[in-house]
Amino acid sequence: MTSPTTGADPVIRVSDLQKHYGETRAVDGVTFEVAAGSVFGLLGPNGAGKTTTVEVLEGLRTPNSGEVRVLGVDVIRHPDALKPRIGVSLQNAALYPKLTVVEVLDLFRSFYPTGRPTDELVALMDLSEKRTTRTQDLSGGQRQRLSVALALVNDPELVFLDEPTTGMDPAARRSLWDVVLGLKSEGRSVLLTTHYMEEAEVLCDRIAIMDHGRILEEGTVDELISRRFHERAVRFDAIDGLSDEQLAAMPGVASLKHEDGEVLLYTGDVPATIGAVLDASEALGMEPANLGVRKPTLEDVFLDLTGRALRD
Amino acid sequence: MDALLLLTVANIKSFVRDRAALFWTLAFPLIFVILFGSIFSGGGNDRSIGFADLDGTPASGQLKSAFGGIDGLTLVDGDEADLVARMGTGEVAAVIVVPQGYGEAVSAKAAPAMVTVYTDPSQSQADSATRQLVGFVLSAVNQAVSGQPPAVAPAFESVQTNDLSFISYLVPSILGMSLMQVGVFAAIPLVADRQKLILKRLQATPLRRWQLVGSNVLMRLLIAVLQTVIIVGVGTLLYDVQISGSWPLIGALILLGSLAFIALGYVIASFASTEDAANGMTSAVQFPLMFLSGTFFPIDAMPDALKTVARLLPLTYLGDGLRQVMVDGTPFVPLWVCFAVLAAWLVVCFGIAARFFKWQ
Repeated sequence: MTSPTTGADPVIRVSDLQKHYGETRAVDGVTFEVAAGSVFGLLGPNGAGKTTTVEVLEGLRTPNSGEVRVLGVDVIRHPDALKPRIGVSLQNAALYPKLTVVEVLDLFRSFYPTGRPTDELVALMDLSEKRTTRTQDLSGGQRQRLSVALALVNDPELVFLDEPTTGMDPAARRSLWDVVLGLKSEGRSVLLTTHYMEEAEVLCDRIAIMDHGRILEEGTVDELISRRFHERAVRFDAIDGLSDEQLAAMPGVASLKHEDGEVLLYTGDVPATIGAVLDASEALGMEPANLGVRKPTLEDVFLDLTGRALRD
Repeated sequence: MDALLLLTVANIKSFVRDRAALFWTLAFPLIFVILFGSIFSGGGNDRSIGFADLDGTPASGQLKSAFGGIDGLTLVDGDEADLVARMGTGEVAAVIVVPQGYGEAVSAKAAPAMVTVYTDPSQSQADSATRQLVGFVLSAVNQAVSGQPPAVAPAFESVQTNDLSFISYLVPSILGMSLMQVGVFAAIPLVADRQKLILKRLQATPLRRWQLVGSNVLMRLLIAVLQTVIIVGVGTLLYDVQISGSWPLIGALILLGSLAFIALGYVIASFASTEDAANGMTSAVQFPLMFLSGTFFPIDAMPDALKTVARLLPLTYLGDGLRQVMVDGTPFVPLWVCFAVLAAWLVVCFGIAARFFKWQ
């Protein structure tokens, strides 16, 4: 029925996926691959089509057209063959409000032929103090952690995490990042959606930026940035006596900008530009204050791609 | 462990921890049985009658002891005006006034001695009972005074017809009503689970739909059994209701009825998109069923228009069937019709739910 997956085969292969709701094209021709053992991020604002895409991959929605193979399984035709092998954390899913943490974990564990001990998951997701708490009494972040724990009950090869850190405080977010990196080090693959830039930068081997149901750009973080921004910016507090003509003539500088009393020199050769700035200010008997290099971020890439900030 | 079993246990835990659900399914029918039971059972024939003796002779004393000797009748002494006033508050059902000169009139035998009896025609049943009682006692007194034996005396023989005591009617009726509620109420947690995306989350696991539905049905059937035990237990222990039918037949009817109403619950869940809507639709379904299906009074006593409505309602057939098999009640329709109609409801509701129920 399905071809066996080897380390070289991608765990997810999506081509030209289309999902329409009436006139709305929630997913409009999405194509990407996820390599085995990697963390792949779908990055985009709310309503970009990330969740719809993920739910098609999980076998929860039937697309209008396109091909989807997950772990070698044709998900559209055989969703049931896939379900024992994946772990899923849905966005905003409540979990039997009247049951306790341990009860919900044991219950979900019973749905699978194999899996991990409940105690191990409770410890992993830092829920030891909440073992006998009903899920309705958990905080948003704790509920999110339980949702991730449930995604791991069957010891899955591939884990889908839809907005896993929404509602978490920064400390909880960082500890979840450690969990995701731990999954990767165990050789599992992860597909996550997020609208947190930093999260994508820290966790994802590759990122696809989505908006309006399409993938606008796909690659590693460095690729995405360097594809759009060839220069970095050398910045320092403005110095009287250094004219714009002088600055523009410095080695490597392509353009310059003044921003809040700072000078930004966009350059293809950071060391040469910094050297020139130091030389010129020394000649004036001064030292440039707050000298540094600013690297363009994913946020800049997103802004450049869509003309708006990721989080409205 | 088996997913079906654990899911059933999870459903039971969720149910038991939901105080409102627990009240409506277990305490509410119990309250009905106890409430109606204490109103309508036991001292149904007990009555108090006011007795104002204005004569105070041995003859009036005899009359008083003749009334006082009747089982279930309590005499309340007082003056005429006071006792009549107490009729208004329901303390006494009637007032008998023995006028001054009664004793003389009895011994003179010239004209009948008159005894005034106040009754309340608006309480027609009590009124006619009082009239019969007074007539009975006075004819006995007349015989004693005249010294002549009666020419004709009745010899009463009891023939047990299908005339049920009200509490015997009520116990199977309330059981039917409770089974209906357990089934129809299946809609609410189901819609809540869908709205909270729990059903969607389950869909992402290898759990089969039949396991999900099966655990739900098992849990409901367990509650049905629990309700049967509670309601029948209270009825037999507290109010001496005799369960006469065969338990396999009773069990089969309870099973079929429960399944039919659970299917109706799934139909509601198919068309209610929010928990609030499910609550509203459940009420809209359960109250007409409760009051128009002969739960609290026989369908034969209903006006014709309502009888027609009652014929359409599934609870009519569950209640009627239960009364037939449990307490030998008068059939409204033959028992096989009860089974057939409930089976038809089950099939149709299952079909509608299978067609329209959405998991997300």
